[in-house]
Amino acid sequence: MTQEQELTEFVHLSMPLTGFATYDLYGTGMAKLYLDTAREQLGADNLTGFLAAWKQVLADRGGPERLTPTYREVARALVYLWYTGSWPQLAPAAHSALRRPGPNAEFVASTSSYAEGLVWRSFQGHPAGAKPPGFGTWSAVPPELPSEQQLREELEAANEDPPVTPAAVYDAVGYGADLPSAGVPAHLLPGLRVSRSIPPSAVPSAAVAPAAAAPEQKQVSER
Amino acid sequence: MTVTTTGAQVNGRRYDVIIVGSGWAGSLLGRQLGRQGWRVLVLEAGNPGTETWPGYQDSLDTFNVAPIKVPNAGYRPNRAAPFPDVLDLHAVPGGYTSTGHFVQTGPLPYGTDYIRALGGAAMHWLGAVPRMLPEDYATRSLYRYGRDWPLTAEQLEPYLQQAERLIGTAGNGAEQHELGVVPERDYQYPMEEIPASYQDGVFHRKLTGKEITDPVAQLPYTPKVYTLPQGRNSTPNPLFDDGRGYRPVGAVGLPNFGERCVGNASCTPICPVQAKSSPLRLQQDFTDSVHVATRCVVSRVLPGRGSSVRGVEFREYSDPAAPVGTPYTAEADIVVLAAHAIENAVILLSSELANSSGYVGRHLMDHPTFLAWSRMPQAEPIGAFRGPGHTSGLECFRFGSGRKRRAPFRIEIGNWGWGWATGAPFSSVGSMVGLGGDAEGEVKADGLFGPGLRRRLGDELNRQVQLQIAVEQPADPANRVTIDPQRYRDGLGNPKPILHYDLDTRVRDGVYAARRVAAEIFRALGAEDFTDYRVRGDIPPLGHFRHRPEGQTEELDLGFHGAGHGAGTHIMGAQRATSVVDSYQRTHDHPNLFAVGCGSMPSIGTSNPTLTMAALALRSAEEIHRELTSLHHPVTAARQPVLEAAQ
Repeated sequence: MTQEQELTEFVHLSMPLTGFATYDLYGTGMAKLYLDTAREQLGADNLTGFLAAWKQVLADRGGPERLTPTYREVARALVYLWYTGSWPQLAPAAHSALRRPGPNAEFVASTSSYAEGLVWRSFQGHPAGAKPPGFGTWSAVPPELPSEQQLREELEAANEDPPVTPAAVYDAVGYGADLPSAGVPAHLLPGLRVSRSIPPSAVPSAAVAPAAAAPEQKQVSER
Repeated sequence: MTVTTTGAQVNGRRYDVIIVGSGWAGSLLGRQLGRQGWRVLVLEAGNPGTETWPGYQDSLDTFNVAPIKVPNAGYRPNRAAPFPDVLDLHAVPGGYTSTGHFVQTGPLPYGTDYIRALGGAAMHWLGAVPRMLPEDYATRSLYRYGRDWPLTAEQLEPYLQQAERLIGTAGNGAEQHELGVVPERDYQYPMEEIPASYQDGVFHRKLTGKEITDPVAQLPYTPKVYTLPQGRNSTPNPLFDDGRGYRPVGAVGLPNFGERCVGNASCTPICPVQAKSSPLRLQQDFTDSVHVATRCVVSRVLPGRGSSVRGVEFREYSDPAAPVGTPYTAEADIVVLAAHAIENAVILLSSELANSSGYVGRHLMDHPTFLAWSRMPQAEPIGAFRGPGHTSGLECFRFGSGRKRRAPFRIEIGNWGWGWATGAPFSSVGSMVGLGGDAEGEVKADGLFGPGLRRRLGDELNRQVQLQIAVEQPADPANRVTIDPQRYRDGLGNPKPILHYDLDTRVRDGVYAARRVAAEIFRALGAEDFTDYRVRGDIPPLGHFRHRPEGQTEELDLGFHGAGHGAGTHIMGAQRATSVVDSYQRTHDHPNLFAVGCGSMPSIGTSNPTLTMAALALRSAEEIHRELTSLHHPVTAARQPVLEAAQ
């Protein structure tokens, strides 16, 4: 595969992970940097292995629940990278399974990646400290957000013909589809940082996941 | 244009005034005294660079690549002139540890930082300039706690007005008059108030007419939303200065830029367009008689004849990564320490000066800040992460007889979601996607991806409400800065500050009341309360404590953050036995040595202290001018540095 093909595949396979269409992903100007960052952090073999596995899952009309735990964590790291411009701290189990030689620490990919994070666009905002919207804009009614259905359609439309990724949108039936509509549960929201030296990717959730908490009422730190 | 110099060049030279520190206090003094023709040397311990456009962009890049956007994220560490960072504090089983500039020995961590760089900690300040309440100056007489000032709000009024002009303040005079902090009914700020956020409007609609009971004060309150006066460029007020109006001052190093806030929403750590005011604005207008030397770390004040001081000893370094300095001295008729409350205390203690009261370093204060956070109902987004950090507040809990029962507090309506408490929005991404592993380090099962993630993340972030509640901390001699040069020195050999810090019962009662009041406010908003300070596992969050005020049935898990409002350490008073400086910030012991800044404040009320500090500095500048005028002889004659004690 040429470098260009590899980049195309990386971006197209990122679409169902991030929920952003390929033109938004290319539009960050960070695609090449993120591919390089992922390769450097995971090792070329791990990255290739993940992309192949994810492609197969999508071809089988599945979702991230079909990935191995380690590859699921890789998928999350890539989303975090696209959403924040930073490489995150991984679950220790995934870090060791990947046999990463470097430290398991969060870092910003480059001086320009921070301002290209997609998280700000998820609420139609702008990065704190960049792309300012103008005087007094903070007084306006927050803009309406597109529905999940609209986003799905946007992604489907962005998939090329013939498609590079087998599916622009992963099948959410098995994964993350049955959450209450009023708001996501507390275990998917951030909780208090015990200190400010905790990087954002390592902040514990506001609650322990119900399934994990139920079997044995564990009193453990989520650090 | 600022005249810069070097330590080597000024070695052995004599000035009218030496000012140690280039933050707000030092820069205001330098400006005023320079305009009166005095020869002034400003010695700044930290790095220059921010005063040029490329230098400022470098700070912005440093901020961009910092994984955690703390107040000092735009400034690199400096081994020759080290400064504290909130990242120095770590939560550990049973308590906390501290690394870095501060040595901390107290039961609770002092969570406040500052910067040693040109412009000082004002480079990362938020820009909030609310006035203190008139009653804040006399808590001892009125409410039987804390210390009274040797000054009243009335005496400070002309200096407050001058400070608001020089800082470049946007505010609503009529509203501040109604609040009771501005005496004139038709007071005009230089600029119109910074517009309230959409969220402020939601608070206004939902809280108007609602009664909130503070169970500790045992009093009902009816909160009203007031806009916040800010040192931030807004629309110029045509009525200012008797109709002469006001021309906003923009970015330093790039003309006609930053003359109005554009909503970068990153005031702390850094305003990319410099619409947020900073001392660099004053420095660029320094007269030629003011010389600024950076990377010159003052180690001590030199004693002179009698009770006077002669000048300062300092070390100049060239590489902030390699703390090697060359020692020099400079002399002056008047020495002014304006190096931050904690650094002023260290210099005075190292110099063994001004401490006949034994009070140097004592009464260290801050605004212990309680964070409360909640989620608005789904169809009611408040538009978080937009605009300046906070644009309005709830002021009623600051006033009145409730202060007899608990420390008062000011409620900031935060505009940046759950950022401070939880690290949102990035931590929201991590949590929602399921990153980081569970308690055992295993990969988590749950998480969202794709359009579901994007939609729900946006929806959640839009609904994040956070209250930042600053609680007054009265001057307590047990909270203090000390030094131990035998054991703790920095890279250049200067003593490190050793801090002992705690919250007394009155403050803890105030935090408790703040928690209960926040819950009531969230109820009135219809918001779901997510505030949670419970200890998970064996590591308590920094600043955690459990507390139950007298008369309350429920004990609560509580916590606090530092506000960056370091104060106390050389407090002012009329009696030399019980204070360090007089109302002009002149040390009682040495007639020509001044210690200025928040360190002089005997109480800090519930207001961000910069404005009050600035007013005090302007008052000191007038006094120093009077002193110099009275003793000044032709500049060619050798002068006696001895001053008459002006008692």
